[in-house]
Amino acid sequence: MSVVAPAIDANPLREGLEQERVPDASCLVIFGASGDLTQRKLIPALYSLAHDGLLPAGQTIIGYARPDYTDDAFRMAMREACDKFARVRPVDEAVWENFAKGLFYVRGEFGEHEGILRLKEKLEECDRTRGTGGRRIYYLAVPPNFFETIAQLLGKEKMVSDPEQDGPFTRVIIEKPFGHDLASAKELNRVAVTTFRERQVFRIDHYLGKETVQNLLVLRFANGIFEPFWNRQYIDHVQVTVAESIGVEKRGPYFETAGISRDIIQNHMLQLVSLIGMEPPVAFEADAVRDEKVKVLRALREFPRGREAEAAVRGQYTDGSVLGEKAIAYRKEVNVDPNSNVDTYAALKIFIDNWRWADVPFYIRAGKRLPKRVTDISIHFRPAPYPLFNKLTNVTMQPNVLAIRIQPDEGISLKFDSKVPGPTVRTAPVTMEFRYATSFGAEPPEAYERLLLETMLGDSTLFARRDEVETAWAWLDPLLNAWAADPIGPELYPAGTWGPEAADKLIERDGRKWRRP
Amino acid sequence: MTDIPTTDVHIDVNAIEKNLSELWRGQKDGDDAVTRAALWNVVAHTSTSDLHASANETLGRASATVPQRTIVIRSNPADEAELTSWISANCHMIGGGKQVCSEEINIVAGGDRIHRVPPVVNALLIPDMPVAFWWLGDLPNEHESYVELLLESADKLIVDSVHFDSPADLALVARIGEQTSTSPADLNWGRLEEWRVATASIFDPPEMRKRLGSIRRVRVIAGSSNHEFFGESIESLLYASWLSAQVGHNVDASGAVEGAAGSIDYAFERRHQSTDVGGIALVEISFEDGTCAGITRDRDRGVLVANVDGSVTVQSVTRSLNQRLDELIVRQLKRSEGDRVLRRVLPIALKLAKRVA
Repeated sequence: MSVVAPAIDANPLREGLEQERVPDASCLVIFGASGDLTQRKLIPALYSLAHDGLLPAGQTIIGYARPDYTDDAFRMAMREACDKFARVRPVDEAVWENFAKGLFYVRGEFGEHEGILRLKEKLEECDRTRGTGGRRIYYLAVPPNFFETIAQLLGKEKMVSDPEQDGPFTRVIIEKPFGHDLASAKELNRVAVTTFRERQVFRIDHYLGKETVQNLLVLRFANGIFEPFWNRQYIDHVQVTVAESIGVEKRGPYFETAGISRDIIQNHMLQLVSLIGMEPPVAFEADAVRDEKVKVLRALREFPRGREAEAAVRGQYTDGSVLGEKAIAYRKEVNVDPNSNVDTYAALKIFIDNWRWADVPFYIRAGKRLPKRVTDISIHFRPAPYPLFNKLTNVTMQPNVLAIRIQPDEGISLKFDSKVPGPTVRTAPVTMEFRYATSFGAEPPEAYERLLLETMLGDSTLFARRDEVETAWAWLDPLLNAWAADPIGPELYPAGTWGPEAADKLIERDGRKWRRP
Repeated sequence: MTDIPTTDVHIDVNAIEKNLSELWRGQKDGDDAVTRAALWNVVAHTSTSDLHASANETLGRASATVPQRTIVIRSNPADEAELTSWISANCHMIGGGKQVCSEEINIVAGGDRIHRVPPVVNALLIPDMPVAFWWLGDLPNEHESYVELLLESADKLIVDSVHFDSPADLALVARIGEQTSTSPADLNWGRLEEWRVATASIFDPPEMRKRLGSIRRVRVIAGSSNHEFFGESIESLLYASWLSAQVGHNVDASGAVEGAAGSIDYAFERRHQSTDVGGIALVEISFEDGTCAGITRDRDRGVLVANVDGSVTVQSVTRSLNQRLDELIVRQLKRSEGDRVLRRVLPIALKLAKRVA
């Protein structure tokens, strides 16, 4: 009797388990470990992964930052962070105890050679004691101006492996902003690829880690019924709204240099537009998906030169009230210039110039201090070709709308007309609803959990590629330059409203209205 | 908040669907609307009032996570000839003041009226929605045709093998998996999941994966009562069969196991205890080089702890899963597809059963 020995490239005992793929244990180094992102998002996300059994035994996390912590002090601070921010609370003592054994801290400045050497020593020690086998992930939770210094030091100390060679992997995660404009984005990318290869670079746009955003692909490409209608023949227009009820809070200095257009439109919003507009990829693989997304960005119609503002509206909130509470004007916020002309609201009418979408307008808007926090995509279909019923009833038929709620109360609804019971033919709009909370109950994992796990597994499908970032900037730069040169500045809107009047006019002059999300 | 009756409404069996529609009439759209939802048809088959009550309670809780049309049957030919039914709604808050409700139908049949149960149940299933059939208690393998009739429309058969009194029950489930389109699911297999995760975590590091081929001995200790009941051994059996199936061991008709490096000793031991009867308490996997990997349950901390001998010793901790009946049912309902691993494991478990029966 012959028995074949099992292949060793995959763990056969994982088959059929909730997590069929578990990454190999690695050292994840967080540069900027004393910062807000580490405490609010990264460590709580890593703990939640450990809680759900998704981290390998031996997974090691090393915080690197300026303050003088010991390993124990760092662990204590991270425990407090998990107590406050982890998805799964209260923190499970047994899981935490084991997770904390893999938490270490190295003190150092970002440009300090000695600090990087201490880090190198700690990494080598973890390889010996925790079985991390030389595998490295560097998370740069630092301002972009430190990227080059850190990358150069890592390269100089040979702490980055070459993916073309067999051996342990090295990956680097970069947080947005990926530049301030096309030139700075190119410079950042140049810096990244002097030390790392493009396939080692994972650019995080946390929107792509959201379940509902990923479900856009499933909705479109796992169902036979939507794709035949997903084109200019049946779709009248598309609306995308990213609304926040909060103001800039403590992010005044950053927001003064970014505005809503750089903070939301250039990345999150264009990611959503490319997922709605893309062609079916040949496979659900990183480059196949990103190839199709970048084609959408390349097909975005350029703003008319010299008349850029005709297709776009910018606004800035002034005093008002949100959800019944007083809200101060943007110019009165902490660390904001009292004469600031920065946009806290932007609405754009854009076109994707290709066969599928020719002349279908995409109305996109994003803003702060709007009446509620909501991210919503709505596909507005063309009306029925012949008004068979409204002659009898004098009632206007409503267009069908497929609404995809990204957050909160995630779900999908389809609005259509139905006959009202009775002897006369009267119609009324009704909706079919799918809600994640109703159908699946469990709370979806945080975006960072998914994205950190994908990085450990080496799958970059949910990360922005260099050409995506640069193409998005190349398209948006002319508008940003036109706004920068415009002395009039943004139109003011009271906090708690849906933005400036000009945004309503932008869509109403086409005979359409913003959908109330 | 809602006018949906959550208490029982007794009705004629022939008018169940009509009365279900009445439940929802008058509910309005809007923020305060009650959402009627269902992802599954779940049919529970019971034979006693105790099991009936248990099914009601379990599925009522499960419907908070997986909305479902619940049909609970109590059918016993020894009872008085009758056929009665009642309906109610299971309602749950989902946040934001919203309420999700799904229907529950109860059917009680006795004497010769039990033959009306299968057609009545079939007529009550929501179309285009999967059907899970949960059989509470021991399977009546001596009445296989009765089971098959009830299972005609079932996509999934859920059993709890801890109640099986003989290998014939296991054989019936394996046969249903092999010969029909109904996928078998076993709550006992669900209880095993944490042990499978803990074992898999031992072999996640690439250097450990190589050692799968050098396993020489597997020792499984399970809790048992004083009664030597067959069902108490099944969790251990399924564990050993799973390991054997996934690693590629060969199990012959007598239950002897052979791997790439020769014969492998599978040892099943019992430890008398009053709680967690049938549940695995300890696993030891020994390798050709004399080293050993072990998994134990740390009840105080609510985890399974895996340790491996070797140059790098990193402890792996697997959080114990909630083993409440409704949680086990929910885990089954969250997987719409059949469990290919269980299908592979059942025939092996039948062979190994000879060593414990």
